[in-house]
Amino acid sequence: MDDLIYWVEHSNMLLRRVGSRLTEKARKLPPCRAACPAHVNVQAYVALIQRGMFKEAVEVIRRDLPFPAICGRVCFSPCEDACARVNLDQAVAVRALKRLVADIEREQGRVVAQPLPKKYNEKVAIIGAGPAGLTAAYELAKLGYPVTVFERMAEPGGMMRYCIPDFRLEKFVVANEIAYIEDLGVEIKTGVEFGKDITVESLRKDGYKAIFIAIGTQLGMKLNVPGEDLEGVINAVDFLRAVALGKKIAVGERVAVIGGGNTAIDAARTAKKLGAKEVMILYRRSREEMPALPHEVELAEKDGVKFYFLVAPKQIIGENGRVKAVECLRMRLGEPDETGRRRPIPIAFSEHQYEVDMVIPALGQVVETSVLPPELLSKDKRGPPLQVDPLTLETDISGVFAGGDVATGPASIIEAVGAGKRAAVSIHRYLRGEDLRKDRDEERIEETTWVKDWRLLEKKERRYEPPVEKPHLSFEEAKAYLEKLKSQARFEAFRCLGCGPCAECLAGMELCEGDKAVVDEGKCVGCNVCAIICPVGAIKKNERGVAQVNEELCKGCGLCAARCPERAISMQKLSNEQILAMVLTALER
Amino acid sequence: MSPDAHPPRIVCFMCNWAFCEEEMRIPYNVDIIRVMCVGRMDPVLVLETFINGAEGVMLVGCKPSDCHFVDGNLHAQRAVKMLKKLLALTGLEPERLKLLLISPLEDRDFSHYAKEFTEEVWKLGNSPLSKEEIVANLAAAKEAVSAFRLRVLLGREEELTEFMNAYGEKIPEEEFEALLDGIVKAEFIRYKIHYLTRVKPRSVKELAQILGIRPSAVLRHITNMRRKGMITLDKVEGYTPLYKALEVR
Repeated sequence: MDDLIYWVEHSNMLLRRVGSRLTEKARKLPPCRAACPAHVNVQAYVALIQRGMFKEAVEVIRRDLPFPAICGRVCFSPCEDACARVNLDQAVAVRALKRLVADIEREQGRVVAQPLPKKYNEKVAIIGAGPAGLTAAYELAKLGYPVTVFERMAEPGGMMRYCIPDFRLEKFVVANEIAYIEDLGVEIKTGVEFGKDITVESLRKDGYKAIFIAIGTQLGMKLNVPGEDLEGVINAVDFLRAVALGKKIAVGERVAVIGGGNTAIDAARTAKKLGAKEVMILYRRSREEMPALPHEVELAEKDGVKFYFLVAPKQIIGENGRVKAVECLRMRLGEPDETGRRRPIPIAFSEHQYEVDMVIPALGQVVETSVLPPELLSKDKRGPPLQVDPLTLETDISGVFAGGDVATGPASIIEAVGAGKRAAVSIHRYLRGEDLRKDRDEERIEETTWVKDWRLLEKKERRYEPPVEKPHLSFEEAKAYLEKLKSQARFEAFRCLGCGPCAECLAGMELCEGDKAVVDEGKCVGCNVCAIICPVGAIKKNERGVAQVNEELCKGCGLCAARCPERAISMQKLSNEQILAMVLTALER
Repeated sequence: MSPDAHPPRIVCFMCNWAFCEEEMRIPYNVDIIRVMCVGRMDPVLVLETFINGAEGVMLVGCKPSDCHFVDGNLHAQRAVKMLKKLLALTGLEPERLKLLLISPLEDRDFSHYAKEFTEEVWKLGNSPLSKEEIVANLAAAKEAVSAFRLRVLLGREEELTEFMNAYGEKIPEEEFEALLDGIVKAEFIRYKIHYLTRVKPRSVKELAQILGIRPSAVLRHITNMRRKGMITLDKVEGYTPLYKALEVR
């Protein structure tokens, strides 16, 4: 109703600048930031890239996300899916921009971060140095807690290091981002196994006041078909981990990868790169239902991986203890199931065989429940193995939190980062004795965009495509190449519409330090000029007929201050008087 | 080429988003003042800059489709149009004010534009600011753009010409132009009268002589101004009434 009144009031303006009203509680964010599980301030760093401030852009990303280069490579970019620009042409290439700024920073030499001061004494233990654990450690270190991360493997990084193959995410990139977290004063102890070397009790005895379990999902899911124990059947996770560890793996001539996720694609491409003559992916649904990223699928096809859709393995046939073939059933698609994908239904008597000598099941991962304390495991065998509060990530044991893949099932890096951030907030509140549930940001996020009439905007096609592989160039060429990339990136960044209110990005700049308009109520005559002028619809008349500035929407452009007939509006930072003073000093020179 | 050996002093108000290169070559006679958007430039500030001795003022913003604030640059365009009309009345050459809308990525060389504008202003010669009359005129013009009438017209121009007014009518561009011309002129004359009578009380005849318009027109303006409380009858000398300005707010 309120909307309608506002609509009618401004109907003479082609309904274009209708700003949305804010409820007291909601936090209005641009769609990209609202869609990101870690709520990275996309609008802000894209605005900085527009200005060519690449270093500052990385700093802005790091406020919310410790892995700019990693996410710039492998994130599934929900921000781009949410981008409001799709209404016009295409989404802004957010992921590619992030990758570029992070790479430029790394290659030009990152400034070594200084250890953060410790404000509190309570020690926090984090189990698992994957994206969730490291993010929680990063956030808690920023809050001022002494944090120790325990990792079972020899190197931190979790699935980012051991599961994503080198050609998608280089190891030195992971190492660099983790080194940044270590520089901030986070201690990472590797080679410590949870459930064996340490337990919840032993950590408590060592003086850790809070524990965050983020061990992820380490076990590959079984196929549950006969012949799974044959030689030549290796789970995708184990396969990728072994490759990452540099172990010698005898890859067969003909390899079948079973599954349609990113891990399946990674395993298939890795097998191909390791020398397999023929690699096929067997997936029980069709291409549309594949959870893998579309461009990854394309790259796999380019690498020569074959795809067979609507087939499911029935059994693995062996000969002398070795894999000889996979027998499959054809499937057809039925009604959509609870995940929204159409359920595959086997077609009777459609058995057929694929001659292979290696089978890599990549059906997903499950939690290694044996290492978890038994009191944490849920009784319900069908549900998730670990019972946690989805908002606060608390477990049944006080002071023990769990999040990331271990609680949600296998997901993505950015979701794990989001869980790590939530855990850090919960742990901080728990240690400070505050209410864990009150005013959680996650609960009150709303999307916003000021654009109401897309016809008034100009189309600009996406021109920036990130380089898949770095070309080999001489020093001079590389310099020119970098300049070209930078200018392309700026062009791309200029496509951003800036949906949200002030982007809070230009903290280092004199001008837009969150400048806001202020109305002198005594002078305002309610002529409504400011409401018409305001490009983001941040001003409207209140019930007393006086203009009111919605501070959360105001972008500080000052158009209203420049036009107010009674000069009742002035800017907080850059008022008319200040501009005049600048003019006078300039002219005195 | 010019009687003056020094290049003219130019103040350039530049959008924060235009020319964001860090290393920008700027001629030494040009001063750059960054604002959030060119549309943010209050007409008063532009006139103040002229009054304080700038010989040229340049407003730099983004191309129409690139504005970060939808149409801040178009607002600037309207303001510049009005200011030029006003400047023409004051006797200061309207060419001393320039609006430049560029793409922040395609045109990287600001110094080129700055030099071009410097040349243009240089050709106009010394600023006529030394003349007392023009100072008075500029002060009157400043008062005129600080007042409600011109500002509200400027603020509503887009609404009136592109959308519709409260009666569902759309004003054609030419009609609006004529309206603007009339109002700019009337407001300028009224504030000029206000300025002149502030110094000492003057008669209609005297004012008409200074302003170079018919006494009846002056009287019409004075009647209007009296209604608004801008001017009052001071005394009557013989049969001639003398008017004196009142302080407005």
